[in-house]
Amino acid sequence: MTRIMEARAIHKSYGLVKVLENVDFDLEDGEAHVVIGPNGAGKTTLFRCLSGETRINSGTITLAGDDVTQLAGWERVQRGIGRSFQVARIFPMMSAFENLIVAIETRERKDKGLWSSFGHIAPRHAVMDEAERLVLELGLEDTRDESAGTLSHGDKKRLELAMSLALRPQILMLDEPTAGMSPSDRAEAVRLVSQVRERYGLTLLLTEHDMEVVFGLATRLTVLHHGEIIASGEPHEVRADARVREVYLGQH
Amino acid sequence: MIDYRARFRTNLMIAGCGLAAFAVVPFVANSGLMFLAGLVAINIVFGLSWNLLFSGAGLLSFGHAMFFGGGAYAMAVVSLRMPEVPFVIGLALGAACGGLIALLFGIIALRRASGVYFAVLTLAFSELVHILITKTTFLGRNDGLVGIRRPVIDLGVFSIDLTSATSYYYFIIVVMALVAMMLWCFQNSPAGRLIQAIRQDMTRTAFLGVHVQVWQLTAFVLSGSIAAFCGAVMVPFTQIASPEIAYWTVSTQPILFTLLGGAGYFWGPAVGAILFGTIDFGTRTMQGLSEITVGILLLAVVLMIPGGLLGLLKRRRKKARRMAEGSSPAQHEQSGKTEAGQ
Amino acid sequence: MLYDIGLTVFNGLAWAMATFLVAAGLTLIFGILHILNFAHGGFFMIGAYVSYSLMTGMGGSLPLWLYLVGAMLAGLVVGLLGWAVDALVFRRLRDVEDAYSLIATYALLLVCGGAVQLIWGLNYLGVTPPPALNSVVFVGNVFMPTFTIFIILCGVLAYIGLELFISRTQLGQLIRVVAADPWMAQLLGLNVKRIYLITVIFSFAMAGVAGALLMPNQSLSPELGGIFLLQAFGVVIVGGMGSIRGAFLGALLLGLIESFGTYFFPQYPGIFFLLALAIILLVKPEGIMGKEQTA
Repeated sequence: MTRIMEARAIHKSYGLVKVLENVDFDLEDGEAHVVIGPNGAGKTTLFRCLSGETRINSGTITLAGDDVTQLAGWERVQRGIGRSFQVARIFPMMSAFENLIVAIETRERKDKGLWSSFGHIAPRHAVMDEAERLVLELGLEDTRDESAGTLSHGDKKRLELAMSLALRPQILMLDEPTAGMSPSDRAEAVRLVSQVRERYGLTLLLTEHDMEVVFGLATRLTVLHHGEIIASGEPHEVRADARVREVYLGQH
Repeated sequence: MIDYRARFRTNLMIAGCGLAAFAVVPFVANSGLMFLAGLVAINIVFGLSWNLLFSGAGLLSFGHAMFFGGGAYAMAVVSLRMPEVPFVIGLALGAACGGLIALLFGIIALRRASGVYFAVLTLAFSELVHILITKTTFLGRNDGLVGIRRPVIDLGVFSIDLTSATSYYYFIIVVMALVAMMLWCFQNSPAGRLIQAIRQDMTRTAFLGVHVQVWQLTAFVLSGSIAAFCGAVMVPFTQIASPEIAYWTVSTQPILFTLLGGAGYFWGPAVGAILFGTIDFGTRTMQGLSEITVGILLLAVVLMIPGGLLGLLKRRRKKARRMAEGSSPAQHEQSGKTEAGQ
Repeated sequence: MLYDIGLTVFNGLAWAMATFLVAAGLTLIFGILHILNFAHGGFFMIGAYVSYSLMTGMGGSLPLWLYLVGAMLAGLVVGLLGWAVDALVFRRLRDVEDAYSLIATYALLLVCGGAVQLIWGLNYLGVTPPPALNSVVFVGNVFMPTFTIFIILCGVLAYIGLELFISRTQLGQLIRVVAADPWMAQLLGLNVKRIYLITVIFSFAMAGVAGALLMPNQSLSPELGGIFLLQAFGVVIVGGMGSIRGAFLGALLLGLIESFGTYFFPQYPGIFFLLALAIILLVKPEGIMGKEQTA
């Protein structure tokens, strides 16, 4: 296995509050790596640091061997990261279909150059076909022409996932993909995520609360506690880890 | 499913009808009214260029006068001091002048300022440009540049004589219709869609791999160039470039047009500019009445009818359709209002 | 040389205090309602015109005390207008996007300008200061009109008064609480709406008084509002929106920059405070006394 993302000695604080301290984190090609930890452990902050949404105070982050510490989020996306947000972010005043078209055209702009952005008033046929495929694949048929702001919580998450897939990323980062879902929706989401992971050969990086989701998806687990990593390894190893048991079972 | 072609045809038809309506004006009205109509046609595109920024990119500019004035003065300087330069090149230089101002200002301002700060920064910058114009001898100081001649466009095989006010009027409305359609095409191109996306969720757009500031700057430069083009086209029509066209009250004109007509609609600024021109003309004998009318209308738009005039029409039409279908809502339509016609 | 510096500083102070008189109400409203009020310039202008009518109505050249009473009356009239504006407009702007509330206040400015044109016409009007203030004094050999000294004093007094009012009185305390966290204030049972109303009336009254005080020696025209408004905007923004002390310091800073700039480049008056404003905004968008924005 090759390492496609590597973070070394990351520090991140907001004002005086230290959120991450000396965190080392690796992502191997092809794994489904889930970061867990109690509320306020720094999961989302780690996510934001890795994706480039926020700058780190010190440390380095590399992506496929290249140092990306100084790169902004959009540049990291162009190097193969796709991500979702805890509360799904979509373009609320466009239809679900148009949301996908924007995502696909963005990817095309990278390949075909700036001038593909001008000069035609309808999306190209290839773009529309691809959007159509994504609609089918993620089960958005019923809502494809509704404005995205009015979609249900679960549909927004699915739409966001579809937009991330449209970028054809190597690494897909999902921040709490099942937050606020009912148990049956969760099971459905797990099925969907593992399905797209297999089909697109993605490396997954997730944060998650729900243990069924965690053990349904993870090939590796990392436990974050008070901004430090206390355990990392295969799920059954982590489950047996003494410190993890202490954190999760000993004191709440 | 959106039928993109049909949408294009509809809007082309709207532009065509508008053009036809303006083309009739010289036959039915005196030269004073024709002059006003020409200014309204320019204002329509000026408003569209502003709304490209406001509704398109979500940037509130209180300084569009610096572009408009910049284009106008560039045109005036070219035609007075460099008469050998062809008219069409002058227009292009005017637009480029606005684009350059927008580029310089945008590179600085878009990096740091947003929201209300951006608005005030544009206001301050535009006032700076205005004062510089009034103090620069080359630009005629407070008197402006006068005596700008209307051109004869030489196309080699034949030439188009635009020296009379009427022929230049036709030139204006044709060019403005073309530019308006060009703007429509831009808004519906992938780039326009992207700028819309940035307005709706900047973070999401960034995490699609888009350099957001570059695209905001693109919108800003485009908007500035079009506004400057409008200024450049106006100068041979009025035959004068005076500092007032760079004053901050000019910056607020496209805001008025857009909000009155409906910011959420592509043709909103067009409807607003026509409405504004009508109010201005109707109240010309009473000093101050036009400001009061427009001010109160604008307040009404912000406080009660956020969609502007077009939003009002659409709501009424929707209501009427629902009534016609029989599933009339419990609410009774407010009676006594007359249909708001154009 | 020393003479020039003295005069330039004096001019800077005059600019600063005149602008601060206008900016004080502007920053107060922004601090509590988070509305950047374009209409402030309009109501400033109405204050000036009302006081003009009072003064000319009473026969032109008036004793100082009558001029001050006139200013108070103008403040009262404009304060009452503020009441109406709060009820009709500001109260409805709470849930409106920033851009739209800015545009709404601009609409109000238009209405004010139109009303002034309808009532007082387009001609330039003017009055001289009351005789007591219409002389000059020499400090060293610097030539200082007493009226300008009076305006500088007014500005300083207004600043001290406002600081005391905000920090020492119970009402000032309440205003601070509401400005900091209106939701919490509501929870504590404060009548937030009333405090909003009081702030608006107070701020408008200040605009009216400022208009009346500054009116002599100005040529009154319907454009007057816009000129002072832009300066006051600059001062409020440089000072950090909503901070009285910031506005005071911002006024001094911009005033001195403007007057020294004009001293060295006399052909470009009115340009240096704009340049300074643009530069300060770019370097420190939150203003000199503003709070650092959290990421």
